[in-house]
Amino acid sequence: MNDGENSTPSTSISFEDYSIVASGLKKSFGKLRVLNDLSVKIPRGTTYCLLGPNGSGKTTFIRAVAGLLRLDGGDLWVLGESVSNVRRVRPRIGYMTQHKALYPDLTLQENMEFYAGLYGIDGRRMAERISELLEMVDLTEHSDRITGDLSGGMYQRLSLACTLIHEPDLLLLDEPTVGVDPILRETFWRFFDDLAEKGATILITTHLMDEAERCKIVGYMRAGRMLAEGSPEELKRLAGLRPILKLRVEDPKASATILANRGFEVDVVEGELHVKIEDHQQLKEVLEQVVPLDLRLIEPSIGDAFLRLAEEGSR
Amino acid sequence: MMERSLDVKRVLVVARRVVRQLKRDKRTIGLITFAPIFLMILFGYALSGEMSGINLGIVDYGGQDALKAHLQSVDDFDLLYLGSESDAEKLIVEGRLHGAVVIRKEVVRILLDGSSPQITSSIMAEVRSGLQPPESLQKGVRGGGGDGVVRGAGGVETGPQIVQRYVYGYDLEMMDSVGPAVLGLVVFFFTFITAAISFLRERTQGSLEKFMVSPLSRPEMVAGYLLGFSLFALLQSATTFLVVVFVFGVPMNGNPLTAFAVILLLGAGALVLGAFFSNFAKTEFQVVQFIPMVILPQVVLSGVWWPLQSIPAFIRPISYILPLTYSSDALRAVMLKGAGISEILVPDLLFLVGFFVASFIAATLILSREVG
Repeated sequence: MNDGENSTPSTSISFEDYSIVASGLKKSFGKLRVLNDLSVKIPRGTTYCLLGPNGSGKTTFIRAVAGLLRLDGGDLWVLGESVSNVRRVRPRIGYMTQHKALYPDLTLQENMEFYAGLYGIDGRRMAERISELLEMVDLTEHSDRITGDLSGGMYQRLSLACTLIHEPDLLLLDEPTVGVDPILRETFWRFFDDLAEKGATILITTHLMDEAERCKIVGYMRAGRMLAEGSPEELKRLAGLRPILKLRVEDPKASATILANRGFEVDVVEGELHVKIEDHQQLKEVLEQVVPLDLRLIEPSIGDAFLRLAEEGSR
Repeated sequence: MMERSLDVKRVLVVARRVVRQLKRDKRTIGLITFAPIFLMILFGYALSGEMSGINLGIVDYGGQDALKAHLQSVDDFDLLYLGSESDAEKLIVEGRLHGAVVIRKEVVRILLDGSSPQITSSIMAEVRSGLQPPESLQKGVRGGGGDGVVRGAGGVETGPQIVQRYVYGYDLEMMDSVGPAVLGLVVFFFTFITAAISFLRERTQGSLEKFMVSPLSRPEMVAGYLLGFSLFALLQSATTFLVVVFVFGVPMNGNPLTAFAVILLLGAGALVLGAFFSNFAKTEFQVVQFIPMVILPQVVLSGVWWPLQSIPAFIRPISYILPLTYSSDALRAVMLKGAGISEILVPDLLFLVGFFVASFIAATLILSREVG
């Protein structure tokens, strides 16, 4: 991608590879420290999820990246520009806030025309882009409705469409799928993956664990700093979570003893054996020892990892 | 920290959006167009200078038949015939008479309850016009202290003949003088409030944040609003203007376009001032609280209703920093005296331009503060 900018950052990080590079970000609102030495690098062409409890600084970080905050300290580079010059790269950023930022008294079409206009998109290109996006968020037949009359999910969809109008290289999405039904959410995600494949970077905050699982990288924030970061799989491992094999057997207690003697972690829960396993080899080993009437393998969810990390963090 | 030059296209995009929004808001359009008409009509009739139900006592010692006949012919007066001057005084003190005329062959004395200048001048005017040819007048005005009627000293005098000459050839009614000034007041008031609320909404609903991340600059945003609103300000001033001129017959001696230019300049200033003030409000309710702070001082101190000369000298410096002072002066000059642009340039237009520029810069700067 040619970004036409000739600023050469003084650090050794390659800005070809990273859309956002933050180190030691600090921000306080009064006495409240919202960003507390936050460092993170977000590679280009990926979907990055910021996960964390309320008040952990996710939105503050996104707003800092958008250049809406004056930081108290730290370095922040966005699309190769220092955040103090973020103005230069603004045409390449799309920002979807948690607020209902669209104009409730305009039609869907008019709202989209407005945002297209701000980015200098007009004429035929605007018409094409709008119909394409309305199609994608499944709102084509509603284009003449007044935005204020839309349901919550429809509103979110329109909001996303407006954010994408100028084909941004960096998408900042603050809880984009709130109120969107599961089927359409799936469409969103396929779309995000598609955009990332084409080189766009997508930074998303969410409370939804299953959404975090859809991202390539998950950053777990707490109290203004990054506690853990990695792919969903890595994060689960980091939280010490392993798949659990659930077995129904004739004699749970006897089987539990056998397995425990072989070094497995075993619990008996409501007459069922719960065995933590590491890999396929162990799975085989367990099944050689006991003859199950029924069995299920439960993969840990990112939610479990999240809860575990939150527990550890609060200790 | 001013940024970049204005991109006309983006300004137009914002203006178009503002127009689309307002167009759909029927109620605000109603407010913008009909409320000023309604207000003007109220002001117009209240200030038309026509009074009725003035209780006037007549003490008739003979003579002055022309005057007596004239006073009887005035519809506004309810006449009460009294036996003596002291009766008249008593009734004035009791508040049952607004004034009394004591008629003798050689002199006419007027007793007045001086508490209302309009009633006083109305009685004086009728007595004067009933005295043909002019005769000596002597009046006694009741003092505010309530200590009875104070007569002018000297008993019988032959007062100087009173000759009035109006410089602009009109016997201006109150509405003629107030009308042009109120025109400015109405436009200022509605533009200020509408603008302050619109900008507040941009901030509270989060669209301002979305702007900040887009290539749209703050001056472009404010300029876009200006352009969009100016259409409605034009509509508003046109309707108000028509009512003032055609319903109340306020003279339009100058070029109407010059008057329009003054009104638009004032409206532009009111808009950016509203944009500036919106930053100090968190809710629409708090915007309404600006009315006593921003609007009322202008209503009282900018010479709309009474001349600046009647405002105490120590407050008058405030009058000279209020935009309405200058718009009132300019509009009166254009409408009543037929002044052209060059005659109102200094200080009126210069001040209004300065006020607009200062408010524009202030509104732009305050928007560039950290949001939220």
